[in-house]
Amino acid sequence: MNKSATNRRSFIKKMAMMSAMTAASSMFPGILFANEQEKGIPEDANLDWKKGPCRFCGVGCGILVGTENGKAVAVKGDPNSSVNKGLLCVKGYHQIMCIQSKDRLTHALVKKNGSYVRTPINDALDLVASKMKETITNHGKDSVAMYTSGQSTIPEGYIASKLMKGAIGTNNLDCNARLCMASAVTGFLTSFGADEPMGCYEDIDHADYFVTWGNNMAEMHPVLFSRMLEQKALRGAKIIDFATRTTRSSTASDRSILFEPQTDLAVANAICYEIIKNGWVNRSFVEKHCSFSKGLTDMGYGLEDHYEFTDKPQKIDFEAYKEFLKDYSPELVAKYSKVSVRDIKYLASIYGDPNIKVVSYWCMGMNQHTRGTWINNLVYNIHLLTGKISQPGNGPFSLTGQPSACGTAREVGTFTHKLPHGVVTNQEDREMAARIWKVPVENIPSKPTYHATEMFRAVDRGDIKFIWVQATNPLVSLPKTSRYRPGMEKESCFVVVSDVFPTPTSDVADVILPASWHIEKGGLYGNSERRTQYWDKMVEGPGETTPDAWMFIEVAKRMGYGDLFPYSKENHVEEIFNEYRQFHEGAKHGMAPLEVLKKESGVIWPYVNGKSTQWRFNAKYDPACSNGEDFHFYGKPDGKAVIWQRPFEEAPEKPDQEYPFWLNTGRVIEHWHTGSMTRRIPVLHQAMPNAYVEFHPDDAKTLGIRNGENIKITSRRGSCNLPASINERGLPTKGQIFVPFFDENMLINDVTLDAFCPISKEPDYKKCAVKVEKA
Amino acid sequence: MPIKSYLALSISGRKEELMTALRNLHQCEVVPAKNQDVLALVTDTPNEKEDDILKEKIEALDSLKLLSLVSGFDTPHN
Amino acid sequence: MKKRLGIISLFVIIFIAFIITWNYSYLEGLEEADIPTYDTPTGNFIPAEGGVFKRFNNAGHDFSNMPIDENHQRSLDSYYDNRAYHGAPPSIPHPVAKDRSLGGNTCLQCHQNGGFVEKFNAYAPVTPHPELINCRQCHVAIKTNNTFREFAFTKVQAPEVGVGANNAMPGSPPMIPHQLQMRENCITCHSGPSAPKEIRVSHPERINCRQCHIPISNEKQQMDASTFLRQFNNSYEE
Repeated sequence: MNKSATNRRSFIKKMAMMSAMTAASSMFPGILFANEQEKGIPEDANLDWKKGPCRFCGVGCGILVGTENGKAVAVKGDPNSSVNKGLLCVKGYHQIMCIQSKDRLTHALVKKNGSYVRTPINDALDLVASKMKETITNHGKDSVAMYTSGQSTIPEGYIASKLMKGAIGTNNLDCNARLCMASAVTGFLTSFGADEPMGCYEDIDHADYFVTWGNNMAEMHPVLFSRMLEQKALRGAKIIDFATRTTRSSTASDRSILFEPQTDLAVANAICYEIIKNGWVNRSFVEKHCSFSKGLTDMGYGLEDHYEFTDKPQKIDFEAYKEFLKDYSPELVAKYSKVSVRDIKYLASIYGDPNIKVVSYWCMGMNQHTRGTWINNLVYNIHLLTGKISQPGNGPFSLTGQPSACGTAREVGTFTHKLPHGVVTNQEDREMAARIWKVPVENIPSKPTYHATEMFRAVDRGDIKFIWVQATNPLVSLPKTSRYRPGMEKESCFVVVSDVFPTPTSDVADVILPASWHIEKGGLYGNSERRTQYWDKMVEGPGETTPDAWMFIEVAKRMGYGDLFPYSKENHVEEIFNEYRQFHEGAKHGMAPLEVLKKESGVIWPYVNGKSTQWRFNAKYDPACSNGEDFHFYGKPDGKAVIWQRPFEEAPEKPDQEYPFWLNTGRVIEHWHTGSMTRRIPVLHQAMPNAYVEFHPDDAKTLGIRNGENIKITSRRGSCNLPASINERGLPTKGQIFVPFFDENMLINDVTLDAFCPISKEPDYKKCAVKVEKA
Repeated sequence: MPIKSYLALSISGRKEELMTALRNLHQCEVVPAKNQDVLALVTDTPNEKEDDILKEKIEALDSLKLLSLVSGFDTPHN
Repeated sequence: MKKRLGIISLFVIIFIAFIITWNYSYLEGLEEADIPTYDTPTGNFIPAEGGVFKRFNNAGHDFSNMPIDENHQRSLDSYYDNRAYHGAPPSIPHPVAKDRSLGGNTCLQCHQNGGFVEKFNAYAPVTPHPELINCRQCHVAIKTNNTFREFAFTKVQAPEVGVGANNAMPGSPPMIPHQLQMRENCITCHSGPSAPKEIRVSHPERINCRQCHIPISNEKQQMDASTFLRQFNNSYEE
């Protein structure tokens, strides 16, 4: 009754307002009132806007955070950022809501007799330092490990590396970027000898065709996809979606081409076959700038503990490469890839036409692949054969999934084999690190130890007795968590977890350290297009939350390495970055100084003489080119990029009688990775409250499965129950199912396989065999 | 419970000031014109007496040049 | 007799040779044939959510450059006036051309792409689902304003619109306050001269609407959010 009275009043008020406006328009012809949609906009005059990067994916959008009375209350896109030009996605707009979550970790928690006791942070850090020291004394340096993140800031990654490799002297440092970017890194290194894309996002404004390889950009990199759609509308650019699942990206693309899982290797080779057969090879480019190589085949899949593999590259010539491609005619490949001959020829003709500019995009579809390095190489082959690389609108572009997978994991090098500059196996690189870190060079071991999967296997075996997990949630994100969860729970390993929210990983921790969220501390991130972005602390964190870098420094001091970490609490971000910058001096990787980074909405490296290098290896744009030619692939000693002969090989586990379905996993637009942040944002949780399993409608019909029915998915490793989703968000091919992995209540990674690419050691989350039944 | 709508003309260049002043009165809803010094104003008051008080308050604002009533409604008391 | 046998066997040999040659060349043909067609592994299904992009390629529909005609625009009030409740199929407020037709082309002439109609002095609203051609299955004409018996149906309160009504934070993109079934193609109702003025979007050219705007609540079963608030079995809460 009350409500209808108010409605009536508001209706009358509306009428009154209308009549006033009508009267005005008769009195003042041409008068305009504020847009009806803008009525009642909260005046944001009191908000203080501060720039920074988005906390989520690797696109690296610039954000402006509005703060009021010391609290973050609003977010908008940074119009000055050339990445997103003021646009964000739904995650970005609502990101700051998560820090108000009631179950935020605000104080250190130490496990005592099976329950967590709130502990002053200094006592907790004392405990961590003494445990670490004690473990090293009793079991040696290689019994302690650190597992960090592509979400760690550049200073955090740098301090982790300096502490583990320089001070303690162990290579037991790896990060979750191993699970997402390692194949991209090895792909770049094997083909070009220098990591990270040669182009930049501006390619979108120049390209005629976008080919996305196993990449649902509409949901995973939505801001870039919107830039592509804009070009489609403005210039008629075309989007070709090449994938194993029909997604939003497929429906928005001009052509959707579906292939059988794992056969992307064969299709890429078939495209090269067609390019050569039709004489579309850019001969002068290939002769001047490319060499040909082959590597070992039948490498295995790393399923067994202690698996090791080293590739043995061997130079070949163009004729041998051409001979090898004979097995990959479109007619032969069509038979097992289920891509029609016409579609293969169509793809080849796009790449082959010298008048068309093409950018290839990919992310986890190609990287999380048991032949991830190979498929990266093969796509580079296509661009190298046609000379479509390192030019505005032409080039391969490997996207990343984490805000600083490039900046921290790849550039600082928080991998077991990496140093901030170069690799541990290289004497010169070790000497450089020792000089800048001011440690004896013998301190830095020359042999890589555990990569991510092997690190958690070592925890399970009992080889690692102490592990510090920072800003990541491996017990949701690792493959085959059904093995690694019980492994982490074992008494043999002391587990420290620093995070912002409690997660299934912190559930097994002995000490939980409360971390600051990104706007509660200063830092730097580096995105997919080599853009380094700086931000200042914007708000105070609750309770005793502390920046991760500072926790590392405090522990280092307590372990007796105080001399190596002489940073101040207030200014450590700047001091660390200035020290780190020394590693990358020069035209090939020079980073912008802090004054510039503070002013700009991100700056692309190499930053030479006050200018960003947007297209590397192209003499027109890149001052590091020194061979006098148009292009110079200076990452390789001979200045030539490598075209690799890489065959098609089967996946380690294929559907069979007993386990008849492929299982593919991935993300949805609403949630980011394991959802520890995005699920605590009410807007996102309400739109996507839980995970689900997607079926093809025909498969669902055969199995008699209805939408929403509870389904049990079982593999040789474990099982998981989820509601069925038929013809909703996405549509897997027949014989395939898809499950998003964000849901910690429905752990699909209990089911997945921990097979990985032998070269990059990156696991394949996209392919394993499962059976399904009604639960 | 009277609801009245007015056109309010501000002294030229002081539209923003007038708008803020009116919004601070709480019983007012304001929609500014984009290209003239004119505001559409709706007042909502519980009774005649308060309505008179409010009108006096509005007329006392010194950024206001002219206030003209357009329409008025009164909901029945029950 | 011998002669006849000879002729028959000759023909048999020729026939067999023909079959073999034909077979061989047929198989050859298969090897190099240009287009062995394979069923696309997905068949003809399109994910239901694909609807959001559906209308952007339509000829004659330039969403980045839509005219706005202030004199003939619809308001949300008239939009809801034409519906029994929000989310109900709208009635047909004008006389229909052919009473016996399903709708189909007759309706779609105006309602597929919209446009100004002299006769009604208004822009035809654009349908979000032009693929469903049995229009009059759901949309019926209004032939009288009387009711059969006295009538006491209260309309469900329609979602509020305007800045602030559906935003989680100041300035954040509003969420979608209505159901999406049959209305997945956002731009048909939210852009162009026939869109109700209160809900006309300022940036229809963005295309990927659901990059920023997501449903306020999932239509499927809701989970209790407390599931995600982890409980510590201890003295954490003081």
